[in-house]
Formats: sequence, C-alpha cells, structure tokens
Amino acid sequence: MKRGTLAALIMGVGTSAAVTVALRRGHGTRMLRLNRGLAALQLAARGGARYAGSAPRLFLLAGENRQQLRNDLALQTAEDVATTLGAMKGVLMKLGQMASYVDDGLPPEARRTLGRLQDSVPPMSAELAAGVIEEELGAPPSQLFAEWDPVPIAAASIGQVHRAITRDGRAVAVKVQYPGIAETIEADLGNVSLLRRMLRIIAPGQDVESLLTELRERIIEELDYRREARNQQLFAEYYDGHPTISVPKVVSELSTRRVVTSDLATGARFSELTTWSQHERDLAAETIYRFVFRSLYDMRAFNGDPHPGNYLFHGGGKVTFLDFGLVKHFSVEELRPLMDMARYLCVENDPEAFRRSLEAAGFLKPGAPLGTDVIVDHLAVFYDTIRKPGELTITGDYSSTVVRRFFDVRSPIAPYAQVPRSYVILQRINLGVFALLGELTATADWRAIAEEIWPFVQGPPSTPMGEAEAAWRATRPAERISRPPS
Amino acid sequence: MAADSYAGMSGLVQRSAAAYAASVPEHPADDGFFGPGSVTWRLSADLSGPVPGLRSLMVQALHPLAMAGVDQHSDWRSDPVGRLAATSAYLTTVSVGDKKTAERVSARVRRIHEHVRGVDPVTGQPYAAGDPALLLWVHATYVDSILVAARLFGTAVPAADADRYVAEMVKAAELVGVPAAMVPASVAQLDEYLASVRPQLRATPAARELMAYLLDPPGLDPDIAEIWQDVREGTIGSLPGWAREMYGYPMAGPLTDARRTEIRQALGVLDTVFLGEPGVLEARQRLALRMRAARAA
Repeated sequence: MKRGTLAALIMGVGTSAAVTVALRRGHGTRMLRLNRGLAALQLAARGGARYAGSAPRLFLLAGENRQQLRNDLALQTAEDVATTLGAMKGVLMKLGQMASYVDDGLPPEARRTLGRLQDSVPPMSAELAAGVIEEELGAPPSQLFAEWDPVPIAAASIGQVHRAITRDGRAVAVKVQYPGIAETIEADLGNVSLLRRMLRIIAPGQDVESLLTELRERIIEELDYRREARNQQLFAEYYDGHPTISVPKVVSELSTRRVVTSDLATGARFSELTTWSQHERDLAAETIYRFVFRSLYDMRAFNGDPHPGNYLFHGGGKVTFLDFGLVKHFSVEELRPLMDMARYLCVENDPEAFRRSLEAAGFLKPGAPLGTDVIVDHLAVFYDTIRKPGELTITGDYSSTVVRRFFDVRSPIAPYAQVPRSYVILQRINLGVFALLGELTATADWRAIAEEIWPFVQGPPSTPMGEAEAAWRATRPAERISRPPS
Repeated sequence: MAADSYAGMSGLVQRSAAAYAASVPEHPADDGFFGPGSVTWRLSADLSGPVPGLRSLMVQALHPLAMAGVDQHSDWRSDPVGRLAATSAYLTTVSVGDKKTAERVSARVRRIHEHVRGVDPVTGQPYAAGDPALLLWVHATYVDSILVAARLFGTAVPAADADRYVAEMVKAAELVGVPAAMVPASVAQLDEYLASVRPQLRATPAARELMAYLLDPPGLDPDIAEIWQDVREGTIGSLPGWAREMYGYPMAGPLTDARRTEIRQALGVLDTVFLGEPGVLEARQRLALRMRAARAA
C-alpha cells in the first residue's frame, strides 16, 4: 500500500498522499493541505455520493454486466452479508463513494482499494434476494410479479437490480438491498471511535465531531431507498411527456425502504454515445444541459449525480436519467443568489452586484481585501459558457480547467471563498456536468439555451429541441414548481 | 540489543499480501491435508487473522529456548517484514495448499531447523529448533491463538468445530516434525498441554525486546500504524492473564464489547487494505469457490 491510501479511502481526501508526505516532512504547506483535505471531506459529507467512478452501473442493458457479477460466489444468507460488509467494510464502501463523488479524483491506490472492495461483494443468491422481496413487500417475487428474473442484471453499491414484469405488464427494474446491511452499517457507525481517530490524524484540531455527525447522517439517509423513490417520482412526473428527457416512473406500491421498483429503461451507455456522430453527441449534451438547468430553475431541484453511468441514450437527443439517490432541493431564498450571480455577471454586466450576490450567498467572505476585478477574473471561468452568445465547444481542457480552478488552494481568493452547505451539491454537479460535456466535446449556443431557461430572461426557443420543449411546456399546468418531499 | 536495531516494517501489508496470494494455489493437485470442508480452511479466512499471528509469537517467545533460537538464528532483525511474510506464507501453504506443496515447504522448514542449535544464555540449556518439544510448543500456541482470536474478534467457532480444528491441526504439527502421538487432538488436551508447559515460561530480555518491537514497529505507514494500535491492544487483551503478567503489560481490564467492536472494525479496515493488494481477492475467491463446492457436495 502506498502512503496514505487508507487515509485517503477513509477520509475521502484526494490529496491525502500529499497530506501524508507534507506531514512527514513537517512541510510549511501542512496546514493548508490539511485544511484543504478537511474541506474536501466536508464536501463529501455534505454532498453525499452515489457511485464511485469504477462502481458497477445501475440499470445496465440486459446482460451487459452478467459476467462481472460473481453469481458463483453469491451471498446466501444474511450472515454472509454481515461477514462480507460488516467490520467497517460497508461503511468504507459508502465513504469511498462519497469521496470519489466529491473530489477531483481519489489517488490511484485508494481508487484501487475501493474498487477491490466493491469487487469483493458478490451478488445475493436468488433465494436471498427473493427473501428480501418477501420481507419488504409481503409476498415472494413469483407472486408479486408476472415474471421475475432471478439473475440480477447489475450490482448497486449495497444491493442489486433484477428485471421483472409486473402483473399489469410493465417491464420494471427492481433494486433490492442486501438484507441486514443497513443495520450492519448503522451498527458500525454507532461506534465511531476508529473513524474519529483516523480523522484526527489527518485533521488535528479540526471540528471532527460535526464532520462525523454529517458523515453518519448522510450514510444512514442513503440506506433508506424511500427518499430516492420519492425524488425519482417527482422528476418523472415533472418531465412526463418531455420531448427528449425521460425519467423512469416509480412503482410506489412495489417500493419500500429496501426495495425500489421503477420502469425498466434500456438504451446506449455513455461509452457508446462517445462513438456516435458529433451531431448526436451535441444533441445528447443539449438534453443533459436542459435537464440540469430546467430542474434547477423550474423544480428548484438538482439531481445530484452526474455520473456517466446514470444516463441512457436513445438517439435524436433523447436521454433517460437514472438514479435519484442524491437530490438537493432548494428554497426560493437559496435559489435567488444563484440566479442573481448569473444575472449580474452575464446579463447585466454589473461586477459589483455580482460580488454582492456572492457574499449574500456565502460563497465569498464580505469585506475580502480583493478587488472585484480579481474576483471576477477567478470566478468567471465557471460562467464562460454563458457569458457571451454564440456557439461554443466545451472541451475536456475546459472542464479540467474549471475543476482545477475550483480546487485551487493557491488562488488569491481561496482564503475568502467557501462553498456554503446548501450549494455543495450544486457546485459538484456543475463540475460533473462540465466534465461530461467536455468528454462529448459538445457544441451549442449555451447562452441562448440558458436564456430560454433563466426566469429573468425567458428567451425564445433557440434550437429545434427548444421549440419542442416550449411546445411541451405549453401543455403543462402553469404551476409546476415541485415541493421537496417531506 | 535495542529494539531500534530492528529494520523498519514498511511494506508489511504489500509483502504479506503477495505472500498470501502466491500461497493459494491456482491449479492444486489435490485438496491438501485438510480440504475445503475443513474447519482449517474456514478459519484461514477469518477476519481476526493478524491477531493470532501476533498473539502466538508473544506466547511462543515466553519459552526461553524457543526465544533463544529466534534470537540467535533468525533474520528477524534484518528483515522482519520478510520473516512475517514467509511465516504467513508457510502457514497458508500448509493450510490450503496441495499435499505435495505442503510437504515441500515443511521439509524446507525442517532442513532450516537442523542448523538452528545453540545454548540459551538465560537458562544455560542447549536447544535445537528441530526438537519436537519446541516445535509442539510453537504449534500449540498457534492453534490456541487462532481459536481465541476468532472467538474475540472474528467468527466464533462452535465447541465441536474447535475440537475438530485442533484434531485437524495434528497433521500440521506432524509435517514439521512432531510425532502425532505427542500432539493434542482436542481443545481439552490442548489446554492441558499449554498448562503443563507454563512452569518453563518466562519473559527473557530477548523476548521483551522482540515484543516491544512487534507491538510498536517503526516504519509503518501512518494510517497502518494507527490500525496497528488496535491490533496490538486486541492481541494483548487476548493473552492469558499469566502471559500478560510475565511481560508486565498493564492489565487494561477485560475487553469491553465496545472495545472489541472497535478492534473488529480496525481489523476490517486492515483487511480491506489487504484485499486491495494485487491477487488477494482472486486468491480468496479461489478458496471460496472450492469451499462452496464442498458444502454443496
């Protein structure tokens, strides 16, 4: 094991190798690094996470992942589950996922350790999975469903996905959680002294207790599938009938804390999309872009996971959005400064007002001894795609510049900048979306699309997709702003 | 000689992992001396793993002649990590390797032991590593440690299986040169034997020095060092009271449930790191598949 791998895994600190080295050398950058590490972990705790970069994907095309699922090693009893994922392994898996989600990449050793940990968890046997269904839904799958495929089609982090056909003929994907895993992870999180000690090694003198509390809350929340089901349903209802955006509907009578049933989606994976024509890639990118910002401004909600595994592509810009395990709902008050920032910087060209909005939202400490031009210089990169009208190609270089800028501790504004808790997910998703669009080298007039969506502009449709979307919107009830689930 | 005359322990996890992965055969000629249905196989995969390794070394070292042999002949000081890795590779091969390989590595150990002879400076007694009495001591402390650690920190072994395990392990003792008739074949016999040796035991300066080193080894990566504290505490907590007293370790009181949970967590984290090393997961899967087939049969 390379230095600090374990710490990286536990801490979710992408730079922990550097942290450890700095610690050992008593280097002057020590505190800076430590603080930066802690900040990353806080982001992890607050942002939450779904699936690691190398994690098995949900809702694969039928059979795609069968070879990787070690059915020959299937877990047969709840005790097998506890043996496999107890003693902190389930907790480490969740932490590692958070870390990979939030940071600009775990060090390779930590990524490998996490990947191996995930590989080490075989699927449930058919009987064990059926037992969970029976316990949760009151009857075995053979009675609940017209057809049930006992062989899982994909692994989820603490569960697996089965295909089935409901009694009324709907093809569905049923995500089933490992039995007892929630209790096992909760028990491990009930005894946090090991985690506390690991945190103290990396971040001496920091507020370890509040961090622990956040980590625990976030992980425990993710163990309950009902929240995810509610969010998915919200998005599915909102985008019902949309010309290019599709969200599988949840079958709520077949969903519980440990089981989520939703319409089965099939389509091309992201890796396949990258081999399609640039025109197709541009269309898919436009749909993703519209989805992200339409959801933010109309629903005041953000689907938190821009992981490439969470999309299916159907051509003509049609995209299915999967996995709503991490959704952030904003209040009107939380959304307003975000809108103001875009508006003052991009539309009204009023840097001082932009700065005031940053301060009001808590992104920038008020009274920082920095010229507004410096602040604009450093933050405008986040708005580069929408500051000026006209077609623009988002490249991989651009998206890595954005990510680097976001995590740059040497930036002059770093000492005064922070991401307030409410916006952590948003910021991370922005970065994730840019990374996706960069990988597609997507071209569009992003500004014109943004203008369509910005409530303070309400621009006319700027593309054929925009026309179709406007027609769809015209058929929708006026008041469609959704409420966060209680 | 001071503890700092020992080499550092960096690379402990990698080298142990590599030794483990290489010792689990990919194409075994047979199921070895115990087989996939044995308690030996099941315990070889127990989470508690590192504790019995350390615990048996601690108890073994209390025998002045065993300790003198280690002190005067072994490469502990120059290459402690290599020593630990080689020992664990040997144990893995004997437990889950095929018969031919297990016999080959045992023969090699017997050959090495032929040259390990001397006089213990503390008791003035001559010793020889090939002495069945000394080999039996090493064997018995290991078997006992495996059972104690599994009970405290891993998957506890039912009484009948514990007896089976002790009986299975008679073969391991034979392989290294102990006549089967001498070897305890049940937990009761094992306990009786261990008690019978106790009057000969004491913590010599060499034993204290080695243990001081093993319990707080220099050179571990900082995060592994943190985990090692729990392994150490679990090991000391798992010792018989008399062994703790001989070493003079403070009585920390019985291991509470909370503390046991924490040590178990630390072992789980350590196991996760171990699992992340190349080949370890595949080795475990090879064994798991064979054990599963044996259960189904």
